Amino acid sequence: MGTLKPFSDIQVDKTANQSLKPGGSPLEMVLDLLPSNLSQVLSHLTPEILAQVEEIRIRQGRPLMVRCHQREHFVNFNGVSQDSDRAYLVTREDVNRTVQVLTGSSLYAVEEELRHGYLTIPGGHRVGLAGRVVVKDGQVETIRNIAGLNLRLAREFPGAGSAILPYLVDRHTKELRHTLIVSPPRCGKTTILRDLVRQVSSGVPELGLMGRTVGVVDERSEIAGSYKGVPQLDVGLRTDVLDACPKAQGMMMLVRAMGPEVIVADEIGRPEDFQALEEVINAGIKVLTSLHGRDLSDLEKRPSTRALLERGVFERLVFLSRRSGVATVEQILDGRTLKPV
Amino acid sequence: MGAALVIGACTLTGRAVAKAFAERPRQLRALRSSLQELETEIVYGAVPMQEALEHLAARGDPLVRKFYSLVLTALENMRGRTAAEAWSEALEKWQGSTYLTQDDLVTLRVLGNSLGVSDRLDQQKHLRLAGEKLALGEAGAWEVAAKTVKPWNYLGLLGGLVIVLIFI
Repeated sequence: MGTLKPFSDIQVDKTANQSLKPGGSPLEMVLDLLPSNLSQVLSHLTPEILAQVEEIRIRQGRPLMVRCHQREHFVNFNGVSQDSDRAYLVTREDVNRTVQVLTGSSLYAVEEELRHGYLTIPGGHRVGLAGRVVVKDGQVETIRNIAGLNLRLAREFPGAGSAILPYLVDRHTKELRHTLIVSPPRCGKTTILRDLVRQVSSGVPELGLMGRTVGVVDERSEIAGSYKGVPQLDVGLRTDVLDACPKAQGMMMLVRAMGPEVIVADEIGRPEDFQALEEVINAGIKVLTSLHGRDLSDLEKRPSTRALLERGVFERLVFLSRRSGVATVEQILDGRTLKPV
Repeated sequence: MGAALVIGACTLTGRAVAKAFAERPRQLRALRSSLQELETEIVYGAVPMQEALEHLAARGDPLVRKFYSLVLTALENMRGRTAAEAWSEALEKWQGSTYLTQDDLVTLRVLGNSLGVSDRLDQQKHLRLAGEKLALGEAGAWEVAAKTVKPWNYLGLLGGLVIVLIFI
């Protein structure tokens, strides 16, 4: 199995629904949402860097930073620098204004999100929050005095899943196979999953794959990037999303209520997730899911995943890495024989 | 002919002064009730600020409605702006068309600064505090109005008569 090109080289799939994005790169739209002084600093970045930004780090009293594919940059009015002393220092005012602007001056309306530690903003981008956490009865109640923000840009790469999709479709029945994507963090797992959702949902005539009704349990709002319940990223024509829903419960809700043919969940890990997965499979529904991990031996070490492997629950195992760029496909294994396909 | 003009002008002046005294408590009452509505939206409904402003701009006293629609416009015009900024900008534009005193306007300005920046309980405190301050002003204003509205209405007419008599 060869490696995939890095995302930046992937040809954009023309069939993808581009109408969801009203023009401008994701970053430009985010700059539009930021308070003017920060967006001014960031507007001095060169187009090459702008195109690569994955995260913007806003920490009170510390340099403004952007994270690209490979490295982190300090930002100032001249663009980027590697010297932290010459970087733009984020003020308390900057952080406060950013929080206000990103919440639409409605901090009181996002109490549930604060409890989870992040917000999703229009465009499907995620804003992680750090600060003083208020705990009540052993449960996180809210975050007060927010002092640090991490703006993670949701980037869509239509076609990111095209290289592996043919391996996931049964040649005879034209059905999707039960698939598990295994990857360490920041290797493009969610991006690939999202594109697979889009393609399975809308259908891929070249593979004989008809569009399927897909149900997504998007516990961390990363697959569909929903804002007020509406997916902001293209997840296909026949996709229903349960946003911010616990995975195990969400899968059962979908099975009972939405009549899905494929169920998708990102980063399963808890015992109840695995239990729910098996019930879904027993109900005759295909599953497409992902898991943190490095390789097969990693899965065999963990009791929960070992049990799944032994029972041959998954038909395809896809392993990703960053070896030659984001979303390098290391291996695709047959889930029953554990041999490469 | 001239006499009629003088009397007319003085009567109108008197009416205008009387109106200022009569309007302030009325406007304060309308504002206070709008703040209560805002409190309901924020504290009990957790309605996002923009939506809450839309509701307020769509009903109630015309003058107060105008204010909220100004805030809304300021908020929508430029992204990356906070509700506090939009509020103070709208207040600048709007205050000329009201009979509110500096004290009333300061109360509103202070309230604007804390709008949407904290949790529901804290928002409620700020809204209540502003409401109480306006209520105090309103109570005083009613008293003043009761004492001054009628006299000023007559004073204009009588003053005009006096001036005319002196010149005749």
